[in-house]
Amino acid sequence: MKKPVSLLFLLFGFVTPLLAQQSPKVTVSGDVGVSYEYYGLDKMPETSIPNFYPARKPWNLFRYTFDPIISVGGWSIPFNFNFTSPPANFTTPSLGGLGNIGKQSFWQFLTNPANSFGIRPKIGTTEILLGTQYLKYSDLSTGDLGIFGYGVNLSPGKFRIKFFNGTSQSPVNYVAPVLPNPGIVGAYQRNQWMGQLGMEKEGKYFVGFNFVHSGDVQNSVSSPPLPPILPQENMVISFLATATTSTGWNYHIELGQSFHTRDLTTPLSVSPVEDLKPFLTSHTSTDKDNAVMLGIDKKGKDWELGAKMNYHGAGYYTAGYPFMNNDRIEYLGNTRFNAWKKKINVVASIGERYGNLSHTAGPNTTSQLIANINAFTQFTERFSLNMNFNNFGFNSPGILGYKSVSNELSINPVYTWSNTKMSQLISGTYTWSKYNETTTSGTTSNNTQTALLMYVPTWFTSKWSPDLSVMWFKDITTLTTLNLLNATAGVSWKASKKFSLKGQLQYNLSTTSPFTADKNLLGTLSFDWKIYQKLSWQFALTGNLYHYGSDLPGSSLFPVYIGNPQYFESTMRTGLQYRF
Amino acid sequence: MKRYYLIITLLLIAATAAQAQINLNLALNSRPQPWLSEWGNPVNGIMIITYTTGAAGGDPNIKIRTTLLNESGNVIGLSNINAARPYVLRPGVNQFTMADALQLQNLNLSGSIKNQMQRSGRLASGQYQLMVELTNNTGDVVRAKQTRPFFMTAYQLPVLMQPANGAELDAHVAQSVITFRWTSLVPSTQERPVYRVQVFEIMPGQQPMQAFRGNRPLLDEQAPQGSTQYIWRTNLPMLDSTANKQFIWTVQTLDIDGQPIPTNDMNVQGRSEPAIFNIVNQMGTINNAVKKKD
Repeated sequence: MKKPVSLLFLLFGFVTPLLAQQSPKVTVSGDVGVSYEYYGLDKMPETSIPNFYPARKPWNLFRYTFDPIISVGGWSIPFNFNFTSPPANFTTPSLGGLGNIGKQSFWQFLTNPANSFGIRPKIGTTEILLGTQYLKYSDLSTGDLGIFGYGVNLSPGKFRIKFFNGTSQSPVNYVAPVLPNPGIVGAYQRNQWMGQLGMEKEGKYFVGFNFVHSGDVQNSVSSPPLPPILPQENMVISFLATATTSTGWNYHIELGQSFHTRDLTTPLSVSPVEDLKPFLTSHTSTDKDNAVMLGIDKKGKDWELGAKMNYHGAGYYTAGYPFMNNDRIEYLGNTRFNAWKKKINVVASIGERYGNLSHTAGPNTTSQLIANINAFTQFTERFSLNMNFNNFGFNSPGILGYKSVSNELSINPVYTWSNTKMSQLISGTYTWSKYNETTTSGTTSNNTQTALLMYVPTWFTSKWSPDLSVMWFKDITTLTTLNLLNATAGVSWKASKKFSLKGQLQYNLSTTSPFTADKNLLGTLSFDWKIYQKLSWQFALTGNLYHYGSDLPGSSLFPVYIGNPQYFESTMRTGLQYRF
Repeated sequence: MKRYYLIITLLLIAATAAQAQINLNLALNSRPQPWLSEWGNPVNGIMIITYTTGAAGGDPNIKIRTTLLNESGNVIGLSNINAARPYVLRPGVNQFTMADALQLQNLNLSGSIKNQMQRSGRLASGQYQLMVELTNNTGDVVRAKQTRPFFMTAYQLPVLMQPANGAELDAHVAQSVITFRWTSLVPSTQERPVYRVQVFEIMPGQQPMQAFRGNRPLLDEQAPQGSTQYIWRTNLPMLDSTANKQFIWTVQTLDIDGQPIPTNDMNVQGRSEPAIFNIVNQMGTINNAVKKKD
């Protein structure tokens, strides 16, 4: 508990004298809010094996946001507090989360990845960072994770100096599963520091080095997590340079090298990788690898052209992007241009990605083609057409080879017409998608078609705005055919400048051959009420009634249920927001 | 003739009893873990050295010499016997891990293999042989030797294809159905992997990774086994302005026992690099635009 108390002390100790200081004028902008979400699920039958529809949200969830920016004299102090109660962590372990085991300590609450408590006071060229910060230094160093700690950004003249130290994962003890309790997988505390040294002329160039270190604290837990969760250590050094010329050319280059120890309990060893003093001492499980990002593009008045190349070695890891894919190289070319008196706008890209370059995952390199083109044409003031085509192909050759090809074409014409009283819009979208997968056991095909028709009449003097849509979706696979029909009607009523009401009703029929249809009615009612000039209240109520067809007969459940199962899902979301 | 056999057998027994004997049993998993640094884990096997002292006593001191050979039998790694750790065997059974047999910190690897190990900690996928020799302390007398073949492979997680990162989906379609597609696990396995599709709502004010690490998924469902497509019948209101505007999704790849496939990610969760998609209410935008225009 020493750490959080001292950090809070720092936080408030820093802010209070600032507010009390000389500045005669204090201004506050930003907002603060609280929201609550209730989730209900009633099923018939209530309990069964298997559980035919599990709850998909927490029953009750409070969420608090506190994002004001306080300006005092030359200081600007933005706050970014948002946190949730109770914890609902899924991909990261947490006490009091799923399974509801134990209770979070204050330190665990502060450092829970679901929560954010950050302030960034700034004066002149100095910015102080306290609490939770999502800092992006570069694509190869750090940028994904929230880290709770302290740091500073200095930008005297052309120099850029950044430093931050904190915790990206709080320690959680391992708790063995005892049915029905799922237990907790546990986690080591992960400390992380990062720094940047560089030079910058805004809008012209940046050149500098990034340093990111993360290390798991082995003794942070009394009951350590079980393998394969192991204490790790990581160090990344990257060189980043970007430049923009007066003729519109943009250049981007980043070179990174990572040192990564998969398991700090393995023996110390300078083989296969030597120590990186003073940052990291090597173990037998330490890897060292490189990554490169190159990019060039040019922007014209009505056009844009770019190319980029990314390479991530098989042993390139950074704690700043823990889910980053490595062992790959990819090229991408993209363009955007206007034509025909600016009535046509085209955006296109084509690229190829090669994976398993190290051949550690099978003897062959995999390849993936990604191509996309979108063309929008405004034929007349009334009529426009949008067309989109994309292709994804993936090939993993070999004895147990795999190949998939996805082609998707979408056409969306929109027609509007109006008179003095009203405007009307009709929009249609048709999407055709084909997805083939080839394995040693043959080829399976997925053919999907979607058609959507929307009609929106708008009366200029009316407070009512209705909309109607119908949708048809069909997916034909080698084994089954899914048909989905959907009709939606919505209306919004703007009673005054302060109050607006929306309602929507949607009816779905989905049929998986040869079974009878599942039926589903979804209703939503919401309002937005500006109670005072700065205070608003949002409220939304949703009911979702779902009745299964013969694809889930009651006789397939235990205990046997007579008839077909159904459920009613209700959600109530409400929030108060105050804008300063 | 029987008499001669008997005499020979008795002589052999006498010789064995007079001298100490070392037996080596290398019980190496035929498909060990791909990271050589993890060979200390029992799942990779065990090395058992049985030391039997003779009437004339014997030398319990040994060193291990490790040779790594490729499929063709060419040497790709050899331990330095001078730097090898000396062991003093206890009479009876002596157990060692496979990490002791491999001696990774004392293994001199040849050029490209050394580079591969430095960069990834793994060998290229394929067939290899591990030869272990037990020598005296100077390394010039081999007292026991055994060679075991093993197959090495690692896995690469699927890459998310659709919705692509940053994609914008029409709310009128997405509130009924969203199609997810991804690439397969590499290399393919005999037993088809289980793909779990997980979708998290990014709530207002949340960072995508904050939602991914802190929220409960709205969807956590298994795709038909082996299939790399999942059609989510969402049944979520997406035309409302406060909810279901942005999502982050991933695929978790599990083996037949429901355990995450051990791959080269830092998280050992079998989760692919997540992607974000946005829900766009085209009709709402049009409606507002028309009203503003007039």
